[in-house]
Amino acid sequence: MGNIKQWDVETDPTENRTLTELKFVIGDPRICSGCMTCSNTCSMHYFKVISPERARNRVVRIEPALDFPLFCRNCEDAPCITACPEKALMRTSKGVVIVNNRKCVGHGECVTACQYYAIRIHPDTGKAFKCIQCDECIKRCPADAIWMTTESELSKRDKDGSMMDLYEQHTKEIYDKEDSL
Amino acid sequence: MIHGVGGHILWVNLTKGSIEKRPLDEDMIKDYLLGAGYLSRMLFDNIPKGIDPLSDKNVLGIATGLLTGSMFPQASRHVVAGLSPLTDIWGESHAAGFWGAELKFAGYDAVVFTGASSNPVYLNIKDDDVELLDAEAAGVWGKDVFETDDILKAKHGRKCKTLAIGQAGENLVRFAAVMNDRDRASARSGLGAVMGSKKIKGVSVKGTGKLDVADPKNYLKQIDVFHKRMMENPFTPGRIKYGTTSLVELMQHIGRLPSYNMKQGVFDGYEKIGGDAINQKYLVKARADFSCLQRCGRYTAVRTGPYAFEGGAPEFETQSSMGSRCGNDNIESVLFGHHLSNQYGMDTISLGATISWAMEAWDEGLLTAEDTGGIDLSWGNHETIVNLTRMIALREGFGDVLAEGSARAAQKIGRGTEKFVMTVKKQEIAGQEPRAQKSMGLAAVTAARGADHLYSFPVLDEAGFDDDIRKRFGEEYLPEMTERLNPKYKGIMVKECEDYMVMVESVGLCKYGTQIPPEFYYDDVALALKIHNGLDFTREELQIIGERIVNLNRLFNARLGITREDDCLPDRLTKEKAPLGPSAGEVVEIDMMLDEYYTERGWDLKTGLPHKETLKRLGLSKDA
Repeated sequence: MGNIKQWDVETDPTENRTLTELKFVIGDPRICSGCMTCSNTCSMHYFKVISPERARNRVVRIEPALDFPLFCRNCEDAPCITACPEKALMRTSKGVVIVNNRKCVGHGECVTACQYYAIRIHPDTGKAFKCIQCDECIKRCPADAIWMTTESELSKRDKDGSMMDLYEQHTKEIYDKEDSL
Repeated sequence: MIHGVGGHILWVNLTKGSIEKRPLDEDMIKDYLLGAGYLSRMLFDNIPKGIDPLSDKNVLGIATGLLTGSMFPQASRHVVAGLSPLTDIWGESHAAGFWGAELKFAGYDAVVFTGASSNPVYLNIKDDDVELLDAEAAGVWGKDVFETDDILKAKHGRKCKTLAIGQAGENLVRFAAVMNDRDRASARSGLGAVMGSKKIKGVSVKGTGKLDVADPKNYLKQIDVFHKRMMENPFTPGRIKYGTTSLVELMQHIGRLPSYNMKQGVFDGYEKIGGDAINQKYLVKARADFSCLQRCGRYTAVRTGPYAFEGGAPEFETQSSMGSRCGNDNIESVLFGHHLSNQYGMDTISLGATISWAMEAWDEGLLTAEDTGGIDLSWGNHETIVNLTRMIALREGFGDVLAEGSARAAQKIGRGTEKFVMTVKKQEIAGQEPRAQKSMGLAAVTAARGADHLYSFPVLDEAGFDDDIRKRFGEEYLPEMTERLNPKYKGIMVKECEDYMVMVESVGLCKYGTQIPPEFYYDDVALALKIHNGLDFTREELQIIGERIVNLNRLFNARLGITREDDCLPDRLTKEKAPLGPSAGEVVEIDMMLDEYYTERGWDLKTGLPHKETLKRLGLSKDA
């Protein structure tokens, strides 16, 4: 179990901690149809609008035939947390990285620090926002292309590594911050 | 205030190079909704009578529907409309994709092009910043649809969505499509040529805005109900698995698969071009458009050989038009031909139908190598089909003749080839052999844009929707209405379906889900309009709006001289009995069905034009 991620126990001293794998949402770009239901669900659930720019995830279509539903990967080292000069990011007891809106002033240091472009600045609030693993999109995905995973679950499910290879091959396109606000 | 829309229309005067942002006309929405209805009204008021469709006097509108960009299943559509250069009457065409939703996120519901530019341009939209840019300087003029998408994305950002014509539109091919998101086609009516004539290459759009829905509190809850119904509909798994490709097998089964230029409705090689053949060897993925749960879009690949490609293809219509209709059972050529048509931007229906017209004329000895420049037009010659696809788009050699569409080509060639033209009002009949389903024959003649299966899309008698017929029409017309070979009550059905379908096209929804399968109906659309747009319409009001749009489209055509005389099918379909298959011996009893249809519509039996009282009831008296 050498690959198991664990979160930094000092970020949340109030909770009882056990050695638990960090979760994150992942999607198969070969199965995702690109319909945007995940993003639309997200922006509606949290911000009461339909707007991919206001969704906590992103969907990127790449030819040939790939649709990447992209979410926070919940990195063990979480460079977004350390990058924030306001200390506005933290892990919850369940290991989810969240943004404290009272502290966040929208510097965007976290956006720069994240190699997955999984945290962005919300165009209306001016504060950082990201996937917080709520499950609302997963239960609505019509293609069953996204699921809650952990590193060990993912390595079992993607045994030959062919799915994650696609992420590797398309790093430049899917994590491109050209459109960051 | 109307929620969930962009709120503005862009009026682009290409002659002057000026752009004006006009607010949506909310009164007009009450009478016509948005999308097809809104454009019907706007273009009726703005396109003068007696103009050349390829002149600067034509007006081209591109509009989203009220629900485009919403979370209602398949709410991804936009409409392109104008005076058609193929039919010289009302032209409209619809496509799904992401472009329509993106336009809304940028804050607009429609783009209208007037005039014509002296040099090639394209429109770039980034929220409030809208500008006409030099298409030659950008390197997109002369380029195909895929290259154009690549170049515009490189220039304006990967996230922008593009709508564009290919070489076919630039070369004024009369059945050129307006393409979007690479492989989505507003194909019918040849409106790509109108863009070409105006020298407007396309529209790239990036919108960072939002749609603020009317009832955010209950929105997801209600959408979940719609989604559940769509996903649990017994048709959905098949749609995901096959898209429309397995219609080849279904149509063969009922003798409705147009073959050999519609001489017959069955094709020996149907399995080779069918849905299973595609799934076994070529399907890469089922792909969706915005908010689409059924994902009928196919992504296929031919890995080796002369027809190698990878991309979005095909639809049933192409399997029929470039396959069985041309006697062609080489599936790789059909897939590649579809891909090429997307690349050049052409309607595969008119394309395949025009080639099949030439093939029959060749077969009958009326066209020779002298006419074709040495091209062999034997049935099933797939190399010819693929070569002609290129030659038509580029207007090379004999392709230049065929680029005019089959009706004009036959007029030019003469020698009796006219009788092999399978069109209504100069538009080629789609892949629906009407002798095997009478309602489709009627739908083709009454559709406002010339031969068309989608304006009415009367599929309720196609495959066991008896319960839905009962639900929509009551017991009164059973069982005749459900019988596809029985012309009885088809006038009533086609009228009802037209009213409903043009309403659906005015809200930006897909006919999959609203008509086949008929999961959603007026009440569901009304509820969606309420939670998304905050608009209160009753089922009856929506039906009247649909009826109003159909009548206004009819008045548009009446102004151009269309009467009952034009509402006719080729003699082959009304006089020659279907020779083979499950519908052998059948002809289309068009006059009887038309009488019933006109009566149901409140139109004059002799002229086929709306009675005064009908127009008065619909608030259209001043438009006659």
